[in-house]
Amino acid sequence: MADDSKGLVAAGASLVWRRQRVLWWVFAVNFILSALGTAATRNQLQQVLGQSLAGQPLTKGFDLGMFFELVRVPESNLFASHGASLHMGILFFLFMVFVTGGILTVYREDRKLKTGEFFGASGAFFWRFVRLALFSLIPFAVLGLALWGVNKLSNYIGDRTVSAQTGFYIFLAGAIVVILLALFVRLWFDIAQVRAVVQDEHKMWPNLWKALGISWRNVATLFRVYLCISGVAWVTLAVGLFVWAKLPPTAAPVTFLLLEFIILMQLLTRLWQRASSVTWYRRHAAMVLVDAADYTTPALVELVEPIAEMPATAKKTDGTAEERSDSQDARLAD
Amino acid sequence: MQPRKLVIAFVALLLSAASLQGQGPFAPKVTGPLSQRVVAYQIDAKYLPEKHVVEATETLTYHNLTGKALDHFPFHLYLNAFQPNSTWVREAHRDGNFRTSTFDNGWDAKRSGSNDVISLEVVGMGDLTKQIKFASPDDGNPDDKTVMEVALPRPVEPGQDVTFKIKFRATFPEVLARTGYKRTFLLAGQWFPKVGVFWNGAWNCHQFHAMTEFFSDFGTYDVKITLPKDYVIGATGVQTNDTDNGNGTKTVAFHAEDVHDFAWTADPNFKVLESQFNGSVGAVKVRLLTYESHQSSWQRYLDVMQGTMKRFDEWYGPYPYAQITVVDPPHGALEAGGMEYPTFITGDTVWWAPKGQKAFPEVVTEHEFGHQYWYAMVATNEFENAWLDEGINSYTEVKVMDSLYGKNTSLLNWIGAQMGNAAEQRMSYLGVAETDPLSRNSYQDMSMGAYGGVTYGKTATMLLTLEAVVGQETLQKALHAYFMKYRFTHPTQEDFLRTVNEVAGQDLGWYWQQAVYGTQVLDYKVRRAESTRVDWANKDAPEEKKGETLYQTDILLQRLGDFVFPVVAEIKFDNGETIREKWDGQDRWQRYVYLKKAKVLSVEIDPDHQITMDRNYLNNSIATEPQRGAVQKISTYWLFCTQFFAQMLSWLA
Repeated sequence: MADDSKGLVAAGASLVWRRQRVLWWVFAVNFILSALGTAATRNQLQQVLGQSLAGQPLTKGFDLGMFFELVRVPESNLFASHGASLHMGILFFLFMVFVTGGILTVYREDRKLKTGEFFGASGAFFWRFVRLALFSLIPFAVLGLALWGVNKLSNYIGDRTVSAQTGFYIFLAGAIVVILLALFVRLWFDIAQVRAVVQDEHKMWPNLWKALGISWRNVATLFRVYLCISGVAWVTLAVGLFVWAKLPPTAAPVTFLLLEFIILMQLLTRLWQRASSVTWYRRHAAMVLVDAADYTTPALVELVEPIAEMPATAKKTDGTAEERSDSQDARLAD
Repeated sequence: MQPRKLVIAFVALLLSAASLQGQGPFAPKVTGPLSQRVVAYQIDAKYLPEKHVVEATETLTYHNLTGKALDHFPFHLYLNAFQPNSTWVREAHRDGNFRTSTFDNGWDAKRSGSNDVISLEVVGMGDLTKQIKFASPDDGNPDDKTVMEVALPRPVEPGQDVTFKIKFRATFPEVLARTGYKRTFLLAGQWFPKVGVFWNGAWNCHQFHAMTEFFSDFGTYDVKITLPKDYVIGATGVQTNDTDNGNGTKTVAFHAEDVHDFAWTADPNFKVLESQFNGSVGAVKVRLLTYESHQSSWQRYLDVMQGTMKRFDEWYGPYPYAQITVVDPPHGALEAGGMEYPTFITGDTVWWAPKGQKAFPEVVTEHEFGHQYWYAMVATNEFENAWLDEGINSYTEVKVMDSLYGKNTSLLNWIGAQMGNAAEQRMSYLGVAETDPLSRNSYQDMSMGAYGGVTYGKTATMLLTLEAVVGQETLQKALHAYFMKYRFTHPTQEDFLRTVNEVAGQDLGWYWQQAVYGTQVLDYKVRRAESTRVDWANKDAPEEKKGETLYQTDILLQRLGDFVFPVVAEIKFDNGETIREKWDGQDRWQRYVYLKKAKVLSVEIDPDHQITMDRNYLNNSIATEPQRGAVQKISTYWLFCTQFFAQMLSWLA
């Protein structure tokens, strides 16, 4: 199972690398939307600080006192445009809901899709994924409540113990459990999305329960893969922020590149998880097809259900693959 | 045993007995009395931890040094503030309190506290318990019982003493506004009936307000506290005895002289750390009562105490007492933190406090020790002129913290961000710059925010700005003079202002009128900085050439606020020349014109950044070249935050 995980992680990474155009597009949209969301703030800052020496403490270091001056003075109006940032964040979320169908199709077929194909696939799955996103609010809300409960419990116990750390460690332990459960929920819904794309499943509620069964039965492998990739994201974030804190305050271009690299890595790892889940599903769907033919290993049948028109597994660059994809797209169009 | 050995053994026994009996109340080179001792308290108290109650007998001898016959005496019963209809709770519910919520979720019985006087006898005049009446001199609130008055059958003549014997019960709330319990921890502050101060020809005994603190007379305290013997105890003054009662309790005795309050703390979980400060009047014991789980802060507490005591000793005057007790409250007892009592302070920390931030425990510990000077020794009226203790102490906090940890990093120097203590004071002031004059009775300020911003922030900012007029060294000398002259007395704000005038050698009335008695706001602006070719109208003028083309430079300064203050403007030209102009600020604007073969690069008002009262730093300068650094940096961070938020949100997609 561990080897399977390693293989999946590597295969997922390889798939993201081969189809890196997806990553760059997602990154570009994230950047452009965020830049639009922060443009008003930048302009406002330019008006206030563009001709003033007051910003020097922020250039030569990061003087929080001067930053608070900026926040406080009505002319700077620094956070007046925070709504724009919020809206752009929501827009990016909707964008990701929209293109997930296209992204999964790219990973499933492991080839460069034409623009029309990509957006066709995105559109075909959009409302299904909206439904899934809405369904996901249920388990995430439950986990939110659980975190709230953990917080209450840790406060309650912490308040009654002499050690100042007790409450914190209880909360930390509980929060880790909640985060891991959230990761499992994400995995579950990712499998549901993959399944919707591969199976062309239209009914999301039954799809969700089947995906849960699949995720649960294969939790050891899949969760390890997700955890491993999440670990990369967390480590990258921590190391990136550590390096950022060590950079000279005047190194503005390097700081910009570093922060953008952090964002790129966060987006990359998310796509990596998706690519890994697609790879896993493809591999095991294929195995089921084979196994289902001779009925020698019925246990494997439970992994995933047989697929009527499963595309071939590896790099499809020949004409046959194109035909299969076309037939797949024909089904998507339905 | 040989006779010589017997003598040695006897001397050793005497020495050890002396050490067990504790030390004197003063540092080695100090002898009392240091104050006009008006009161002498003897309190015999028993602490019942399971009930959070102290049952006690108080014997108060009051020396009538007022020059008038006194026929009634008011007493503070501060713990009665913690009742739903008290003035304190009403005000806290309306405006909040520094340490407390506004009780919006209703009154919690655990927050109840009380001082119940069981009996009151005046020696030679009999039992006067029935003469006790509650008074509400500030707001007439009939439900407020924080001040009681006792009318005597005959007056106490000037120069005579009167002795009160009061039996009382103090019930502590769960820690609230500087007093109370948390688990096994107890901070006993304002716990006993305390007589008011006869000041300026009348009794001064205000009700307990949410926005102010205390005021009382100097004297001596002998306090015995009986409590379970596993408790570790610390208190005002020095410990003089510790007796095991054999019934699971012990009685610990404390003695203090020339102090005006007595507080104590106890907890079986305390860990005691001791160090010594060697000041100009000899060694002072620093006793830290802390917890195992705050281990990361132990050295930080001791270090900041050493640094602070050294600077106060050098700058303002000696700390004359033998001991200072520093209490590090347990987690969850934040409201007990950051409080001052004579020779006894509470700090505050969290176990995870990064070393780069100095708010906990450094700033709070420094601040509370500073109160040993501006409150405990220079004992101003905190009800009426809180700025004289909290405000001056906030100014000296800036000076000490800057000296210890660097001017721009004395509050924070962590993960690439910095902040100085002065900036924090300024931020606190700016929010309420025009609400209340410092001279207003503190408890009558507009709101809790105004009280905090004006009392702490405005005073510190006002004194920092004053350095621009009289110089930092002069102001330090003035504070030294003020401390030495008024320690162990109750000076007024006029005493302070007069002392600064005298030391500075100038009448600063123009400044005090605006900064202390007024609510004027200071704001200067560079309105224009422009260089134009003198031959701009000549179409055949030669091409612009650095160092050869003649320019007329116009500089326009403007006073936006109503606070008139002399300022310096620094003008820099592109040939390296720098000019400093002084403007008295009397008019609303001032123009400067220069004819030079150089163009202006920048103009900056207050180039040395001394005028911390200036409301808006952003308009204090104009640079003719674009200043991109700060804009780029903040925009980059803001962009990153937005991108990160967006990608986090997309995790749900």
